[in-house]
Amino acid sequence: MSDGGASRRGFFRDLGKAVASTRDALAPDPPREPAPPPPPPDFGGLSDAEIERYARQLVLPEWGTAAQLAISEANVLVVGAGALAAPVATYLVGAGVGRLGILDPDDVELSNLHRQTLHFTPDLGVPKAESAAAKLRFLNPDVIVEPYQVRLEEENAAALIEGQDVVVDCSDSFATRYAVNAACCAAGVRLVEAGVLGLQGMVMSIKPGRTACYRCAFPAAPADAPSCADAGVLGPAAGVIGSLQALEAMKLVTGVAPAIADGFLQVDLASGDFLRVHAARRADCPDCGKL
Amino acid sequence: MAVRTLDITPYTCPMTWVRTKLALEALAPGDELDVRCRPGEALENVPRSAREAGHAVTVDGTTIRIVRA
Repeated sequence: MSDGGASRRGFFRDLGKAVASTRDALAPDPPREPAPPPPPPDFGGLSDAEIERYARQLVLPEWGTAAQLAISEANVLVVGAGALAAPVATYLVGAGVGRLGILDPDDVELSNLHRQTLHFTPDLGVPKAESAAAKLRFLNPDVIVEPYQVRLEEENAAALIEGQDVVVDCSDSFATRYAVNAACCAAGVRLVEAGVLGLQGMVMSIKPGRTACYRCAFPAAPADAPSCADAGVLGPAAGVIGSLQALEAMKLVTGVAPAIADGFLQVDLASGDFLRVHAARRADCPDCGKL
Repeated sequence: MAVRTLDITPYTCPMTWVRTKLALEALAPGDELDVRCRPGEALENVPRSAREAGHAVTVDGTTIRIVRA
């Protein structure tokens, strides 16, 4: 009996094993760890707020994440805080430039306000660099805005442009333009030059050592050059030229389109003519001939 | 290859295509993105914008499958 009992237990034990092995064979694979869902798109590291703020430029086929990241890492110095600088600084800060320095030694005067759109009547007497910086910080708090109440001259030009990715010259004198051009050539810093007078203006991008510099195109200042202190300028004319400068700076920073280089754009706002004028590098240029 | 998914149902134009465009820029050519959107404006405009940008697009209900060019 005891044998029979053992035998019966053995039978059921073996039956149990057989059932188990059959069940294992028929059963679906044991559940595996579920595959992790692919991560959501990271939008190149742009935040929701950045995507919304810059949506209308990000949506452009030419722009996009790469251009936005490039401009967000750029250091740009704007020389002057006047009529040209207003659209330059406004558009660069609006577009999300990383850091914008803006320098001007002067205070806001009543005669500035018809064309210098970053300054308002309550700003009279305030340093122009500070007045501009205050508005720019309201426009885009994500941008580091650094005002400098200083005049750019040959002696301090190198120190002021050190570390800049692009300099935008919005000064109103040939002496300053030549000082900026020489310093940018020496340091290899890309530069956007411009000038406006009356209803005429010009814009020129410069890649030192690669394209004609300002002095290649204009070897000497005209002997009788008026400045806009003693000649007139209409506000919108300065706005057009400054806007073109802002666009050139954005092209240089991001490469989204070729800059106006190896020459300049001559703009006649009386006739509406935009003329692209060629200029070549000069081997004997004192500023870039040795580069 | 895993298909990425993007939900643009909370958004309206132009953010619908902006977010889709940026998501596509983060992918490699040939990668697929399933975009879930609301019927109406986005369902009309996002496929059109994606095709204009050169991507291959198929629409199934309110899901837009885009193969990145």
